[in-house]
Amino acid sequence: MTYQTVGRSKPRVDAPAKVTGKALYPGDITYPDMLHMATLFAGRPHARVLAIDTAAAAAAPGVVAVFTAKDVPVNEYGMQRPDRPVLCGPGSAKAGGDVARFVGDQVALVVAETEAQARAALKLIKVEWEDLPLVLDPEAAMQPGAYQLHPDCPDNVTCSYHIRSGDVEAALTEADVVVEGVYLTPVQEHVYLQPEAGVAYIDAAGRVTVEVAGQWVHEDRKEIAHALDIPVDQVRVIYPAIGGAFGGREDMSVQITLALVAWRLAQRGIRRPVKTIWSRAESIIGHGKRHAMKLWARWGARQDGTLVAAEVKVIADGGAYCYTSNKVLGNTTLTCTGPYYIPNVSVDTYAVYTNHVPGAAFRGFGGPQGHFEAEGQMDKLAEALGIDPVELRLKNVLTDATPLPTGQPIPGGVGLTQTIIAAAQAAGWTQDADGHWHKPADGKWQMANDDTQYPIPNTQCPIKRGLGFACGFKNVGFSFGYQENSHARIELRGGTEIEEATLYIAGADVGQGHHTAMAQIAAETLGAPFERVKVVASDTATMQNAGSASASRLTYMGGNAVRGAAAQALVAWRNEDRPAVGDFKYLAPKTTTIDHETGQGRPNFAYGYVAQAVRVAVDIETGQVRIEQFISADDVGQAVNPQQVVGQIEGGVVQAVGYALLEDFRTDQGKVLTDKLSTYLIPTVLDIPEQLASIIVDVPDPNGPYGARGMGEMPYLPVAPAVAAAVYDAVGVRFDDFPLTAERVWRGLREAAGSAAGPVSE
Amino acid sequence: MQVEFELLMPKTLSEALTMLAPAAERGLADSSTPVMPIAGGTNVIPDLRDGRLRPAVLMDVSALDVLRGIRRENDLPGGLPGGLPGGRHGGGFIIIGGGTTIATLLTDPLIAQHAAALRQAAAVFANPLVRNRATVAGNLADASPAADTAPPLLVLDAEVELTSRSGTRWAPVEAFMVGVRKTVRRPAELITAIRFPVPPANSASAFHKVGLRKADAISVLSVAVLVECDADGLCHKARIALGSVAPTPIRARAAEDRLQGQVLTPALIEAAARLAAEAARPIDDLRGSAVYRQRVVGVVTRRLLTAVVDQARKVSSQFFGESPTPEEQSHATQSHHTQS
Ligand SMILES: Cc1cc2nc3c(=O)[nH]c(=O)nc-3n(C[C@H](O)[C@H](O)[C@H](O)COP(=O)(O)OP(=O)(O)OC[C@H]3O[C@@H](n4cnc5c(N)ncnc54)[C@H](O)[C@@H]3O)c2cc1C
Repeated sequence: MTYQTVGRSKPRVDAPAKVTGKALYPGDITYPDMLHMATLFAGRPHARVLAIDTAAAAAAPGVVAVFTAKDVPVNEYGMQRPDRPVLCGPGSAKAGGDVARFVGDQVALVVAETEAQARAALKLIKVEWEDLPLVLDPEAAMQPGAYQLHPDCPDNVTCSYHIRSGDVEAALTEADVVVEGVYLTPVQEHVYLQPEAGVAYIDAAGRVTVEVAGQWVHEDRKEIAHALDIPVDQVRVIYPAIGGAFGGREDMSVQITLALVAWRLAQRGIRRPVKTIWSRAESIIGHGKRHAMKLWARWGARQDGTLVAAEVKVIADGGAYCYTSNKVLGNTTLTCTGPYYIPNVSVDTYAVYTNHVPGAAFRGFGGPQGHFEAEGQMDKLAEALGIDPVELRLKNVLTDATPLPTGQPIPGGVGLTQTIIAAAQAAGWTQDADGHWHKPADGKWQMANDDTQYPIPNTQCPIKRGLGFACGFKNVGFSFGYQENSHARIELRGGTEIEEATLYIAGADVGQGHHTAMAQIAAETLGAPFERVKVVASDTATMQNAGSASASRLTYMGGNAVRGAAAQALVAWRNEDRPAVGDFKYLAPKTTTIDHETGQGRPNFAYGYVAQAVRVAVDIETGQVRIEQFISADDVGQAVNPQQVVGQIEGGVVQAVGYALLEDFRTDQGKVLTDKLSTYLIPTVLDIPEQLASIIVDVPDPNGPYGARGMGEMPYLPVAPAVAAAVYDAVGVRFDDFPLTAERVWRGLREAAGSAAGPVSE
Repeated sequence: MQVEFELLMPKTLSEALTMLAPAAERGLADSSTPVMPIAGGTNVIPDLRDGRLRPAVLMDVSALDVLRGIRRENDLPGGLPGGLPGGRHGGGFIIIGGGTTIATLLTDPLIAQHAAALRQAAAVFANPLVRNRATVAGNLADASPAADTAPPLLVLDAEVELTSRSGTRWAPVEAFMVGVRKTVRRPAELITAIRFPVPPANSASAFHKVGLRKADAISVLSVAVLVECDADGLCHKARIALGSVAPTPIRARAAEDRLQGQVLTPALIEAAARLAAEAARPIDDLRGSAVYRQRVVGVVTRRLLTAVVDQARKVSSQFFGESPTPEEQSHATQSHHTQS
């Protein structure tokens, strides 16, 4: 379909302010007479606070107040389960509120005239600790007799899912080929550019107000109100510019503590704004991470490549608190059998409490872990069956007609087949007259061997090259029975023609271009020029709930809300209302929870699809892996703004390349060893794929706005398994764990060489 | 982290040396703490922020133009200092001001022509922003085992000029760094220059660093090599230096000795590479294990030696056919390059 505004790369509405430095991020905001807050972190992975002596800190120069657990009215929070104390310490309003369960738990808040004074006073707080046993290994934590971190969760299991469809044992026995694997996926840190920061104050209407970067203003407001035990309408949350999120701002960081401090100070007659900025090290220990998972898999197929059974078990390290573990694990449950029709499925997944930094939302929400195992299994099956990996996928891939392991057909408009073909063809795959797919012959894609940085002659470099393929899918929205919804309001002003359309939407622009996309959908629906749409966003005082900027849901949900509001406003406009107002709450198609024993149900209303091919060069003497070419084809339904879609594809791939090859979050006895950007390394511009092709596939979603489907997470999903497949293709050694750092690859090659005649001689 | 310190900003070298002089020498009560130089600040500032350094007085030497620039001199001012190997100085010296930035190493024609290893180290040093500030003196004075200019300077037989109010002394780079972040620099001394004899034309040098990523990566290990040989591959001189595999950057002397006076065959190079690996005394840390470092240091040494032997032989056969004389290698002109 062609449209006026939708489908065009309109300039970002937020770009001028951001590139000229006018846009203020939370850390940039200052107010006259502002105070500063510093946070005392536990620094211990598991310990009870026996006593806190704040007297010396309170008496330190510039200090205005010190707050501890006893100052928090309802000392608990958590998006999915309120299992975390706001501040750990004695006098807590909740049992267990005196225990720190990971190093990033918070103990006290100091408010002072300057940041330096606040931080200096932190050192004067005396905490008496009683160290408690460490729970670090999720498998051990599930055993009887293990230390229980949360009394209401037996065996430390935060949550679990189970799918039973067909008869897996029988099908595996009858299968011609069965492949197995145990896969390990690592923790990942979000590394958004702006560390957690914000300012809190009492606004003119008397509301406790927090200006902060998050992903969902209304959820932040709810969690603040809960901890302060005040009605939500006495709390206001505003998002200024947001310096990246990727899921890491889904859970609370400084929201509740800032609100608490401004509110308590006001009770003491001190009405001054309070600001805080976490350091990078505080950010790294203080917010959740991508869950580390261990996945056991056994899949069977017939000789012709038909998948017959998949048995998967997953244990995820949930860390100290639930956060969104249930959502993350739900997606792992659905993705760990891949985007394929498999008649016999048995899946058991568990998220387990430990004393690690909590597992949290991170682009893909458990999907990347599920895909690493599922696509690894497919690569092994393709090899065992002697079938081309693209052909094997096309043979089994989900279509509009096939059911998911949860029993119901996948919602319509499935673009997987088109997406796989697009990526495969771009990488050089061909289909013969009999319909068989063939991988491009080696050598066709040989690229320059030299790297200008390295003075090693080409002939000397034992470089092996390989090509890998993987695909994926993921749900759009939270769902699993939660009624997904989103609200937007539009006011039209003018005489005979619309001169200004003001769009009120609470959705967070975390850098993905949300506000621009919403303005495009409004303009399209109104038939008005894009430039006349003004976006007012992210303030709970003036708009209703649009939902979270996560789970690839905001374009889909917010877009439908805007479209509905615009259509309503047009009716009012034609009725000569001035301003003409449209106020619309979009409700997504209904979903259900999945049955706890069988997993049967309709957990989602929409999905997004992706397929990728990657070419790597592996230096077998040093283990270094370089990505020479990356192709990502994404079915986005309809690109609302193609440039932003490509931005999401490139960003998603680069972030996942970091996950696959480089990022190595290390802890020792619960303490974080990589709490700096000099030790936790993410890719630089020199480390990203030398060529990155983004292919937009547009099979419309039947319910998406103008056919658009969610896409922000999808390009991330198959990257790690595609890279692992390419490395295998290059060197003949399988890596079922990552990141594929040079040393890990080097060790793997040497181990293989030790057991057989491998490629490394020394 | 907010830190307080006094900042001195000398405008001339003598002013700077006076500020550095021991308190007693300056007629002050001796309670005053030593003055710490700061140049690019790319080590000092992060250390201040992390609380690893608590200097009471910092002295910013970045305004001292005399510390900057790269030049070639045929006659050494003040004559030949002790410790230099005799006989081959006809080519003169390259003199790098201590305050010269890494970015300058990357663009300077003298470095490009005579010290490929140093240029290659500059190319993979930190990132462009840091390279614009970071100085050679700061890199050596910081004395990290991973200091990337050190292996190239070691293979170039470079020396460090240490200047105080009471005079100047030269220390070979190898003797200058004595331990992790420890040097022989006395508190009253500034590093005013680094110099090395211009390598003969029938020589070649190279540097390679293995980092966890391509930019802004502290070396997991690094290797620099320099080989001087004739067209038949007969080795007149060999230097091999290793970074990040010992408490300081080190020379692999046994490996060098294995090559010296021999015809450089692939088998000999392989043997030398093994000796280099044996010279490494690495540790396990977040960046890599000792065993990985030790093995890969050998791999990189072999590759670099192969590459430079090839280059040196080519130059030899093109221009000389046999070992060059000092007059031949000296390109006669004495050029001056000053950073703008
Ligand atoms: C992001 C980043 C990346 C980095 N990457 C690399 C890298 O890839 N490779 C690498 O080797 N290093 C790297 N470094 C470390 C640092 O940049 C280098 O060591 C640099 O050369 C230090 O020079 P400087 O002028 O900034 O030193 P400063 O920080 O100013 O000083 C360092 C030390 O030298 C002393 N000093 C400075 N000048 C003099 C002088 N003239 N006389 C006597 N003492 C002096 C100071 O007192 C101090 O002890 C990196 C640093 C950062 C922040």
